[in-house]
Amino acid sequence: MTNDDFVPAHAGGEDPTTDACSHAEAILRVQDVSKVYTSGDTEVHAVANATMAVDQGEFVALLGPSGSGKTTLISMIGGLLSPTGGTITLAGTDVASLSKKELTRFRAERVGFVFQSANLVPFLTARENLLYVSTLQKRIGRKEAHARADQLLEELGLAQRAKNVPEQLSGGERQRVAIGRALMNDPDLILVDEPTAALDTKLGRQVVELLAREIKQRGKTGIMVTHDLRMVQYTDRVFEILDGHLTHVEQPSALAH
Amino acid sequence: MMLALNEIRRGLGRFVSIIGALSLITFLVLTLSALADGLFFGATGAVRSTNASAYAFSSDAKGSLIRSTMTPEQVREVEDAPGVTKASGVGVLLTAGRGPSEEYDLAIFGVDPAGAGVPTNLSEGRLPADDSEAAVDESLGAGIGDTLTVGKESVEVVGITRDSSYQLQPTVWTTLQTWRSMRNDVRPEFTGVEDDVNAVAIEGSPQGEIPGVTVLSAQDTGLAIPGVEQQASTLNSIIYTTLAVAALVVALFFALIVLEKRELFAALKALGTPTRKLGAGVVLQAVIASAIGVVVGAIASRALGAVVPDTVPTLFRTETLISIAIFVLVAGVVGAAFSLRRIARIDPATAIGGTL
Repeated sequence: MTNDDFVPAHAGGEDPTTDACSHAEAILRVQDVSKVYTSGDTEVHAVANATMAVDQGEFVALLGPSGSGKTTLISMIGGLLSPTGGTITLAGTDVASLSKKELTRFRAERVGFVFQSANLVPFLTARENLLYVSTLQKRIGRKEAHARADQLLEELGLAQRAKNVPEQLSGGERQRVAIGRALMNDPDLILVDEPTAALDTKLGRQVVELLAREIKQRGKTGIMVTHDLRMVQYTDRVFEILDGHLTHVEQPSALAH
Repeated sequence: MMLALNEIRRGLGRFVSIIGALSLITFLVLTLSALADGLFFGATGAVRSTNASAYAFSSDAKGSLIRSTMTPEQVREVEDAPGVTKASGVGVLLTAGRGPSEEYDLAIFGVDPAGAGVPTNLSEGRLPADDSEAAVDESLGAGIGDTLTVGKESVEVVGITRDSSYQLQPTVWTTLQTWRSMRNDVRPEFTGVEDDVNAVAIEGSPQGEIPGVTVLSAQDTGLAIPGVEQQASTLNSIIYTTLAVAALVVALFFALIVLEKRELFAALKALGTPTRKLGAGVVLQAVIASAIGVVVGAIASRALGAVVPDTVPTLFRTETLISIAIFVLVAGVVGAAFSLRRIARIDPATAIGGTL
């Protein structure tokens, strides 16, 4: 891999705080967010005062080695963990203020997740996997959901595989179904966790490319956690997290590794 | 629901073990219940299927029809007791008799055909009208017009009764006079106490106490028959233990299923599935597995019932089937409920990070 692989679509190396302020229209605002775990009498700062803003239609990468806090950060953004400090606002909703029940609803309706290993329901077909998440929300009606699932499968090149269960699909196809599932409920934000971990380079590229295209076309906002520098070329901006400290980078330092 | 149903539909193989276990348990419980019912009904018919609501015994008999002896004075005292509308002496003799083609073990019941303690389940014919006639339980296999001989006494069968056996022996319902003659023939030691009867069958609800006399309801009279209560409680404790085992088996099965699906459940929770929905799915699966188990077990038990020889006292009652079906379903739900805490504890945050 060479430096040429990394072509940030949106250059910017500003201080993250001012960066957050400059994004007046930001759909996602993460302000001074921390997560502290206490084990015994030692405090572990998994995430320390992270601040970031992401505009609607942006697809950003969150880079960092394992244990850097990137998982913790996106779990907090996705309403899976509650921060110990700071605020997270998604399209006007203060995520930290939501109750456990509201968070479940929030995740179903406002956030789309793409997990590391697709994590599809093994006993549902590709189409049913998409339809399943539509049963968790109330904004899209049943009929509309069916049409939407078919359209997504078509777009993702899965129309012929709609009636197959995950076991009958290839790794790339599974990850594409997972992308469809993430888009199914028309969320404000799509969180992608190491989508290429279980795929080879070529398939990984295809999946991320497809993901970037879908996010762009639909005017969605996406955050992708990855440690794979080859994938950042499909994103608009790159954030890096090291030992819990989030920075907005032009040239990811990890590139030097 | 979509998840729970599709999982069973597409992964029936995984559920075969639990459905099989529940089928076998239901089969076992239903067969034991049929035996328990068969023994209970076969032992107590003679005091249950009569028009008597209670029986009076001599106090020293502890409710045993055979051990009890009531003098004519005591019978009158019972008759005169407040709340008694009808009271008649009952005599019992367990002995052997001859029919047209074979010998039988018999329970001879001497009763007043117009009084209390006569069988109410006549399937054919009528009650004896005089000392030369008798009605017999259908389990004897005799027909109307047959002659039965006990000692030197012979009676003609004029009626057939159902569910009226006593201690699993077919009953012969005769007059008190005929019973007395038969008894004196086969048990000469009773000479001198000929006017005594064993107990008094009562219609009405007797009030107050009679010295030296114990009154038991017809139900309790059945339970006081030697062995009946012991048999019932032994079989029932086996049945209830087996049902508890069913709940445990279901609990173990779903504990395993949930353990195996931790990662999936975490992802589903992350996607916004409420814990309640996942829990309801597991309970629904338990209900479906139990329901299939009940149906398969019931069919198997009935099939066995059809081939067991008549000498095995089994009785398949719809009431028992319904209550056992409910018990198995409840056991399934209770078993599955043990998994709910486990499901609730799965942290959706573990879906991200992928170190599972």
